[in-house]
Amino acid sequence: MSKRVLCKFFAHGACLKGERCEFSHDWKDPSNNVCTFYLKGVCAYGSRCRYEHVKPLRSESPGSSSSTSSRQSLVSDSSPLGHHSQNLSGGVFLTPGVLTELSALSRPFFPSKEPAWKVESEQLDFVDAGNIGGPRTSGPADRPICSFAAAGNCPRGENCPHIHGNICPICGKQCLHPFRPEEREEHLKTCEKKQKNLEALKHSQEIECSVCLERVLSKPTAAERKFGLLSECDHPFCISCIRNWRSSSPTSGMDVNSALRACPICRKLSYFVIPSVIWYSTKEEKQEIIDNYKAKLRSIDCKHFDFGNGNCPFGTSCFYKHTVKPGSYVWKYQRPPPRRPTQRRSNALDMDTLFDMVADLEEMMFDSPEDLDIFCLDPVEIAYVLRQLAVSSDSSSDEEINI
Amino acid sequence: MIDFARVQKELQECSRDVEKSGIKVSPKSDGSLARLIGTIPGPVGTPYEGGTFQIDISLPDGYPFEPPKMQFATKVWHPNISSQSGAICLDILKDQWSPALTLKTALLSVQALLSAPQPDDPQDAVVAQQYLRDYQTFVGTARYWTESFAKISSLGVEEKVQKLVEMGFPEAQVRSTLEVVGGDENLALEKLCSS
Repeated sequence: MSKRVLCKFFAHGACLKGERCEFSHDWKDPSNNVCTFYLKGVCAYGSRCRYEHVKPLRSESPGSSSSTSSRQSLVSDSSPLGHHSQNLSGGVFLTPGVLTELSALSRPFFPSKEPAWKVESEQLDFVDAGNIGGPRTSGPADRPICSFAAAGNCPRGENCPHIHGNICPICGKQCLHPFRPEEREEHLKTCEKKQKNLEALKHSQEIECSVCLERVLSKPTAAERKFGLLSECDHPFCISCIRNWRSSSPTSGMDVNSALRACPICRKLSYFVIPSVIWYSTKEEKQEIIDNYKAKLRSIDCKHFDFGNGNCPFGTSCFYKHTVKPGSYVWKYQRPPPRRPTQRRSNALDMDTLFDMVADLEEMMFDSPEDLDIFCLDPVEIAYVLRQLAVSSDSSSDEEINI
Repeated sequence: MIDFARVQKELQECSRDVEKSGIKVSPKSDGSLARLIGTIPGPVGTPYEGGTFQIDISLPDGYPFEPPKMQFATKVWHPNISSQSGAICLDILKDQWSPALTLKTALLSVQALLSAPQPDDPQDAVVAQQYLRDYQTFVGTARYWTESFAKISSLGVEEKVQKLVEMGFPEAQVRSTLEVVGGDENLALEKLCSS
């Protein structure tokens, strides 16, 4: 298309692009001599401008106007100094009406201090006429919607030259592009999701923890404003309460596995607690929260496993990542190292055997996926295990030493 | 550390429907929320009917993650409650405690225990034996104990005070003791004698 417009460098006998020039090097083609500043509304040179001050009448003929506009921009880009350095000999054609009006503006141009939409009257008309000339021909789907309207309020209202989007049924703003179905779809989707989240959050605000009897999301510190979801039932607790309960010392013969791991309300056993800032209303939502949580944990290296040098009590059912580093114990022997926490090794042989017994008992107790809050055996659990040991006495310890 | 905010909430909740349940929980006169007094009415249709039973409650540091310690302050004849100390044999106050339970629900359970004794898992062997071997005598004794210890005497407070003052106790002390034991004349006398 642009081949059909005469290259103005060629016209001056100095086009460096030669054959590769995107403009026509054929004298028969019409030259483009329309002032781009005039098209935008204001030309500081007024009647002295060497470019034509005409409205793009040719835009009526299909196809030509888009090329005109693109060419115009190229022209003005390539010779920004053209206005100054060259004489005004080029045939200046002025429509009389425009001349009188623009002669008043024949002074250095100062950009208006007013926001664009407050610029009144004819000047605005020029802007619109000039702007629309280009994009009008390139289908409505290519034109963006008015961002003011999409944000909620367009000050130009009916007179706005841009497309005002259709009202989104969810957010109530004019942000649905009438001619771009994919964009509409996408907006509706994200809007729906946002709305759902908002509703879930609203709903979550009301939920009370059954242990502290307070609203979970109204707790004083941000760390406390989290739910602790139990995998097996749907009773709401705040994360700190449920963790406190699950890690509380088993007093008066409370059993870790049957009492502490159970839901305080329905006593259903849950093997892990999922922290979440939002309470779910459907099974799918809960599953999504759990999946997200597990996915996050899977990206974290397991501290127990220690890249193949440690021994993770949760084995293959561990939620954390088990990365085997070349040269590690697992890499060399294809099996986990013997259970003997190196950093806690004591000189006394007794202590070592004791740790072995603890570790073994740990394995017995935790052969199912375990509560993830408990990173390692905490003192409470050790105390518990030791107490159990005291009861089961030596009979069990003999066979456990030779792992 | 005791979660006092929760205790406060529980007390409010309890006082809200005291009419319906008849279960009262109030702090002891020293004002600390760690020591409370619970009151339950004897269940209808049992030998305990008509009695009002006081239960001493003391909250351990770990409350609500540890069960509250409860003990009958009113003497009661029941296989699962010690006739001497008032100790209660109830699983939810021991290994079956759950932090979702409250003082009110625990007291409701105690009330339920009064109407459904478990003589196979006794706290007081003498009572349990009697319950199993001679049920009629058990009912008689339980009713008698209710009448003599758990009935708020028909006398007014002033009359009780006067009666105790006549026995030789200073009036101020009599009044405070009566308040502590919840108006029970016998308990007040016992307390006054032991102090």
